[in-house]
Amino acid sequence: MANRRAFMKSGALALFATGISGLPRFITEAAAGTQMLPMYKKNKTLVCIFQRGAMDGLMAVTPFADPALQLARPGLFMSPTASEGGSFNLDDRFAMHPSLKSLFPYFNAKNLAVVHGVGSPNTTRSHFDAQDYMESGTPFAKGTASGWLNRAVGLLGHAPTPFSAVSVTSALPRSLYGDAEAIAINNLQDFSIQLKGNPMAAGKAATSFEELYDQTTSELLNKTGKESFEALKILKSNNIKNYQPANGAVYPNSPLGNSLKQIATLIKMDVGLEVGFAESGGWDTHFNQGTTNGIFARNLKDFSDSIAAFWQDLGERQSDVTLMTMTEFGRTVAQNGTGGTDHGRASCLFVLGNDVAGGKVYSNMGSLAKENLEDNRDLPVTTDFRAVFSAVAENHLQLKTNGNLFPDWSGASLKMML
Amino acid sequence: MKPNPTSQTYKRIIRYGYVFGFLVLMAFVQPTPKMPYKKAGLTEQEAALHLLNRFTFGPKPGQVEELVKQGLENWFMAQLQGGPDNEAVRERLAGYPALSMPTDSIVNTYLQPAQLLRLAIAKGYIDKDSVDKSDKPAYREALKKMQADYGFRPIQELQRELINQKVIRAVYSDAQLQEVLTDFWFNHFNVSLTKNQIQQLVLPYERDAIRPNVLNNFSSLLFATAKHPAMLLYLDNALSISNENEYAKRQLKAAQRLLDLNAAKKILAAASVSEDSMQKMDAMENQITTQIKRRKSQGLNENYAREVMELHTLGVNGGYTQSDVTELARALTGWGVKPMYEEGPLAKRFSNATPDQLLRRGLQVEDCFLFSADKHDQNAKTILGKTFPANGGYNEGMEALSMLASHPATARFIATKLAIKFIADEPPTAVIDEMTKTFIASKGDIKEVLLTMVMQPGFWTKAKEKEKIKSPFELAVSAVRATGTDVVAPYQVFTWSEKMGQKFYFYQAPTGFPDRASYWINTGSLLNRMNFGMAIAAQKIPGFKTNLLQLNQNHEPESVEEALQIYTKLLLPVANQKENSERIMSIVRAQNIDQKIASATNDNSGKQDMQNGAMAQQDNTPLKTMAQVVGVIIGSPAFQRK
Repeated sequence: MANRRAFMKSGALALFATGISGLPRFITEAAAGTQMLPMYKKNKTLVCIFQRGAMDGLMAVTPFADPALQLARPGLFMSPTASEGGSFNLDDRFAMHPSLKSLFPYFNAKNLAVVHGVGSPNTTRSHFDAQDYMESGTPFAKGTASGWLNRAVGLLGHAPTPFSAVSVTSALPRSLYGDAEAIAINNLQDFSIQLKGNPMAAGKAATSFEELYDQTTSELLNKTGKESFEALKILKSNNIKNYQPANGAVYPNSPLGNSLKQIATLIKMDVGLEVGFAESGGWDTHFNQGTTNGIFARNLKDFSDSIAAFWQDLGERQSDVTLMTMTEFGRTVAQNGTGGTDHGRASCLFVLGNDVAGGKVYSNMGSLAKENLEDNRDLPVTTDFRAVFSAVAENHLQLKTNGNLFPDWSGASLKMML
Repeated sequence: MKPNPTSQTYKRIIRYGYVFGFLVLMAFVQPTPKMPYKKAGLTEQEAALHLLNRFTFGPKPGQVEELVKQGLENWFMAQLQGGPDNEAVRERLAGYPALSMPTDSIVNTYLQPAQLLRLAIAKGYIDKDSVDKSDKPAYREALKKMQADYGFRPIQELQRELINQKVIRAVYSDAQLQEVLTDFWFNHFNVSLTKNQIQQLVLPYERDAIRPNVLNNFSSLLFATAKHPAMLLYLDNALSISNENEYAKRQLKAAQRLLDLNAAKKILAAASVSEDSMQKMDAMENQITTQIKRRKSQGLNENYAREVMELHTLGVNGGYTQSDVTELARALTGWGVKPMYEEGPLAKRFSNATPDQLLRRGLQVEDCFLFSADKHDQNAKTILGKTFPANGGYNEGMEALSMLASHPATARFIATKLAIKFIADEPPTAVIDEMTKTFIASKGDIKEVLLTMVMQPGFWTKAKEKEKIKSPFELAVSAVRATGTDVVAPYQVFTWSEKMGQKFYFYQAPTGFPDRASYWINTGSLLNRMNFGMAIAAQKIPGFKTNLLQLNQNHEPESVEEALQIYTKLLLPVANQKENSERIMSIVRAQNIDQKIASATNDNSGKQDMQNGAMAQQDNTPLKTMAQVVGVIIGSPAFQRK
């Protein structure tokens, strides 16, 4: 204890002496020392991306071989062509949108799986309700206080670190509501003591704050204060401001690209990240959705390139990480009167990881003829989203869910992991 | 004649009776027996601070002394009365038109983006083929033009008014308890701006359903929230529909008859009729079939019925079953929202009809609430063991909610939640027991329940586990009040609250924000509490005017020591904080915050740091020292607690 206190003091002094610009090696070393603390260790990490607005799964991974699809959406239909820029034929039934080009190699390498016909048993077509149900993991109960990812962290039962569950968003998403500690942070650089235009004053105040929280009689404030300052030093010592992605990875300069970059930073720092959460928007394509070009294609390219950059950046750490995407529902099979699609039922999702039985489209999808559709219009849900979520949590995080991850659900996990 | 002794006695009795009656009356008029804080070991000053910490958004400088002068009991009784906006609030809310706008005007003025888009296409302002394609500036211009032509306002302005009025009232309202309770009851009956469908309705919800009732009877809160469009849409009761009534049966039968007729026509005409009119008949058949199907597929939605029992009244262990949920949901079928959007398909049908005409169609309108008999399940129900006979209509739902409001489990659940809010995260059972009794005896009178609470020694117990951690909103507002900051830009409180972990009005789940210290305090949010302290003290929050000199009657402290002494006293009043103050002092002193260091940082700080205080004009170094001191105090552990 005495040593730690001594470090804290000298560390803080040194911080003060150098401002925030550069850090003496002394601190880096000291911070490296704190990594020995049990709270900072390598963990398996699950990264989730929520595609808000309901992605058109039938365009992202299109069942092009079904003639009913072309009939229902003549203006939005796409099929693989031999020429450059066409979609990617996965199994003579489904094809990936050309915008997913950067992810296609991972499908080929059998690290990426597509699950199609995924959705909720609750038939709501309201964005809010469907997101709420998917994130709480209880499709028929609105009052569930916790989110499923928070429950996952709680069930893992590891000693929490300040970074066990991190959402790179401005406010905590519903998925992470709950008793396990979870933080929302837009930018890791904001995880600091700072005062605009006066770093010197901030440095001095930080020292005062650290001691005040160290001495407070409130157990909660004391403990959290300590963790905060430790976390802060570790972030500083890792020089997150100048983070350089590895292996030549180039993240798109977009909100999603930026979020994933920060999640990669945390993973490589071994600060105990178990769940990382990011969001991607703009999927509510009622108008002029486009095909190879247009709003959907642009969004999907950002989505694909962000994930591909993230994966490339992880390099040898890929085996510790599995990434899963999700969206609240799919869109109508038929195109609407404004060149887009309306709220539907099932969509598709992607799972990427070394422990994924990839290179395959998991699907129980039937023919898209009108009479087979839900309410004569929508792709029916043939895989409960919980079957996929629990498969990933159980296999990748080694979670014993025992029915606690998704209360009121007794279905089986999808066999899609190695 | 000698006076009749009997009549004399009689008169005396009457006289004494008056006196006695008067005394009894006095006892009722002054229902303020001393609050038992002395018993709990608190001085009058400490008790005043405790009251201010729990029933206001934080003490203002000198307010502890004011309370002592006014009398603690008198102050509390006055707070229990609530009241309209005082002058300071009215002045600051003057430029906020939506606050006094009827709900249907709001709905037709602050359109949602999707409504705006569809209208712009319908009215020819933009071409549907251009949506989501290039040329965004032209597109935005076209939308802007339509907004100007029709007098629409951006919906962001509505949200800004909602957020700003909450901040302004929390900071400047004299009816502090009313505002604290508005925050509390809104969270109890939570609705969320994250749900797009209710974005226009959250402001009227707080204004019309919550604030006027926070010191009223619990049942009035329950009724007002149950019938408000925001709640009806947030928890989906407006979608809960039954065909178990004569209206629906009649409509379905008529549709079926039309269908049969069409089918017969088709057979008759099959040989002779042209392809074209055959197609028309097919189309009609399709249309009617879809309508019937839609009508039949809509059904019971239990969301509100479940949450009203679990979260609003009985509590999760309140002794209800799934069957009670379903039965209550059936009783509340037909409870919905009056169509208000004038460009929508239904609003005209309502605005053109008289109440009598509506009633004949089974529609009862009350403000924005609509009861539709043609969507109500008219069969009998049994809720919590009580039978509701068939054909109860709208009143049946009211009776069921009434029953929930006065249920003993509700009394205990609400008493507990209030005790957690006002006493501690784990409040003493004895106090909850008394509050529960009062809730039952007074039929849910919130004032009476609060009065009972402060009359219990358990409310005053001076122990560290009795401390509450301020929510981010409470922290921000209490800092503003303590420093006498002039809040020109109230929205900054929202921005900072979000950074500190409380994006108020946006909590997605119906549970509302959890009310416990461990929820508010985590690593990310804690650092931002400290950053907030520094920012407000150093004048780095745009639109916050903090004058630390004025706070000290324009007297410039002679030394760091004096600054510390002065500002700890101002911001952490009363002796029970002594320990904290001394600790802050010793640490800040040890950090050697002095003029040399302050002047070394001069070029880093902008000129805006210059205060309007007369003393500051030449040299702002002492002010920097003061700002450092105050920043550390606001970010310190002591200031996070209340």
